[in-house]
Amino acid sequence: MTDLKSKIVPTWCPGCQDFVIYASLQQAIINQKIDIKDLVIVYDIGCIGNMADFLKVFGVHSLHGRSVPTAVGIKLAHPELKVVVVGGDGGVYGEGLSHLIAAARLNIDITVLVANNQLYSLTTGQTSPTTPKGAKTKSTPKGVESVPIEPEGLIRAVNPTAWVKHVSCQKPPEVTEAIEAALKHHGFDLLDIDQLCVSFGKQLL
Amino acid sequence: MKRITVKIAGPAGMGIKSAGLLLAKIVTEAGYYFADYSEYPSLIRGGHNTYQITVSPKEVFMADKKANLLIALSPGHEEDGKNLLKIPLSTMTMQLGGQIYANTISIGAICWILDLNRENAKNIVTGYYGDDPKNPEAFEIGWGWAGTNAKKNEIDKVKDNGDKGSIMDGNEAFGWGLFRGGCNFFAAYPMTPATGVLHFLAKNQDKFGIKVVQPEDEIAVANEATGASIAGASAAVATSGGGFALMNEAVSFGGMIGAGVVYFVGQRPGPATGMPTWTVQGDLLYSVFSGHGEFAKIVLAPGDTQECWECGWESINLANKYDIPVIVLADKILCESSKNIIDPEKGKVEVIKSKKIIPGSGIYLYNSYEHDEEGFSTEDAGIAKKGTEERLNKMKNILKIEKYIFNFYGSKTARNLIVSWGSTKGAILEAIRGNSDMAYLQIKMLWPLNKEIEKVIKSFKTKILVENNATAQLGKLLRSEMGIEFNKTVLKYDGRPFFPNELKEELI
Repeated sequence: MTDLKSKIVPTWCPGCQDFVIYASLQQAIINQKIDIKDLVIVYDIGCIGNMADFLKVFGVHSLHGRSVPTAVGIKLAHPELKVVVVGGDGGVYGEGLSHLIAAARLNIDITVLVANNQLYSLTTGQTSPTTPKGAKTKSTPKGVESVPIEPEGLIRAVNPTAWVKHVSCQKPPEVTEAIEAALKHHGFDLLDIDQLCVSFGKQLL
Repeated sequence: MKRITVKIAGPAGMGIKSAGLLLAKIVTEAGYYFADYSEYPSLIRGGHNTYQITVSPKEVFMADKKANLLIALSPGHEEDGKNLLKIPLSTMTMQLGGQIYANTISIGAICWILDLNRENAKNIVTGYYGDDPKNPEAFEIGWGWAGTNAKKNEIDKVKDNGDKGSIMDGNEAFGWGLFRGGCNFFAAYPMTPATGVLHFLAKNQDKFGIKVVQPEDEIAVANEATGASIAGASAAVATSGGGFALMNEAVSFGGMIGAGVVYFVGQRPGPATGMPTWTVQGDLLYSVFSGHGEFAKIVLAPGDTQECWECGWESINLANKYDIPVIVLADKILCESSKNIIDPEKGKVEVIKSKKIIPGSGIYLYNSYEHDEEGFSTEDAGIAKKGTEERLNKMKNILKIEKYIFNFYGSKTARNLIVSWGSTKGAILEAIRGNSDMAYLQIKMLWPLNKEIEKVIKSFKTKILVENNATAQLGKLLRSEMGIEFNKTVLKYDGRPFFPNELKEELI
């Protein structure tokens, strides 16, 4: 197995399920025999985005919420590249939601992986677009007032032909399998991955 | 007459600008020079739209404010104090079956009054409107009517009928320049007055081999262009102040990671939505200081249509050479006024490609965090200091190497020096025409500011600053960077440009 790990040791919390996504993505790239020369990974800002430092591939650690348009620009300029986005629910469904919708409408051939822990965890636990209604977080001590986004339904409503799937880090083999399917798919794909924040997510349980 | 100014006025939707450009084509073909200016309110239909064109056997740098001849295409559009010609347009258009022919009838009348060649003019009308046979007919009606009802108002005849190149506005000229400089990715969200660049490049994307896209908002525009640049494209965007505000985080991103993108900003009066269809030079300081953090960028300002073309390829080359954001500041006057420029396809243009690592050429992390040589995030004090210095040092190289700095007009021994940037150039050149007391320095690279500028300005005793804004922004920059004080400052900030005669009076 070719090693895709960089020299940097991951700094995620012990027991963080981001490790599952990290391992699954590497496994999927290797299983799908993707030539590293043709691969670009664009990372959002957030815990999962810190994977930028931990992989030895051509990467872009973009701005918060702007991973999708950065990836779209790369793909439009260089269509033969395999372009993957790695982000969290804050960046992709919050700050960058309009970009996600636009990319889905364009049905552009990029793969968007979202580590969805229903929180802003890098900033120590505020409400995100997928936090359940009523949940108490550091920024919503009286409970969240908004209803959460339902990513699968939202993207299907925008583009019924888009590839959308929801998996959970509780079942790592399914995550790898789903990433492989997404990488194989031509056109836009969104993989929403349930991921528990071990440090700040207890309030959601 | 040495020069004549014709103004066509009427409500939106009557083809005023289209008729104006037709007239520009006819006078150019006849060997004349012209400069034009149009005013239109930010309305969908109705309102008071005007197009005016100053025609002369000598080069015209800026249209005159006062018209010698006014054509009102419908009642209510007459202006006071003008030599008003009452053409019974409504009766004549009825003959042809529509009000839309009023503009072509007027062109026929104007051509007779200016004593232009009838057949040449009519041929251009025929070619301009394509299949519709009623336009040449309308032209004849106007010509005939003027022949019996109007007086000739001749301009001095042309002596040298040389090649006058192509007629275009600044948006189109800039688009041509981008193409000649090797631009192959262009993104824009529509915003007056820069939308013309998008229209022009979208129409020519296959011919030019440029990928042209209109993303969901200006944030996406700027980040897509940055992504394209990372992927190896020569990328550019176009917008106005409000759109550029949304792009600012990407300007900073480009500065951090070293990915060059050209930002064309067609200024219009702000703040906020402001006056979309009018003009100002209000975003100089905003551009120079755009993007949070400290990093190198370049700000250029073309002064006329020819320089819009020049800035097109110059900016894309600079963005690729230094891998930094390059902002090109135009305004409504440059964007939407037309002139004849040297054929944009002619002339040798250098094409510089970025040397940065792109996908396939190596492994690298383009990182918006502070990073080390491989791109990995770091908070190390030494690397942070070095990274900051490396990003800023690009400015020193630009100042050392680049020669695209300024234009100087007039004599070095003149008593007064006028200093300006951007579209005020036209009115200034008109105002100082034949006046040996006045020299003029037009700054083209506004950031970083080259020391040569200081040398030239300080060699003059009387220094006059001219800016189309309220706060003398270039003056502030020159004072803070070079300690330059002006003896006189001439400002205008009512949404209108400086016109030759009014500026001449201000400069006395």
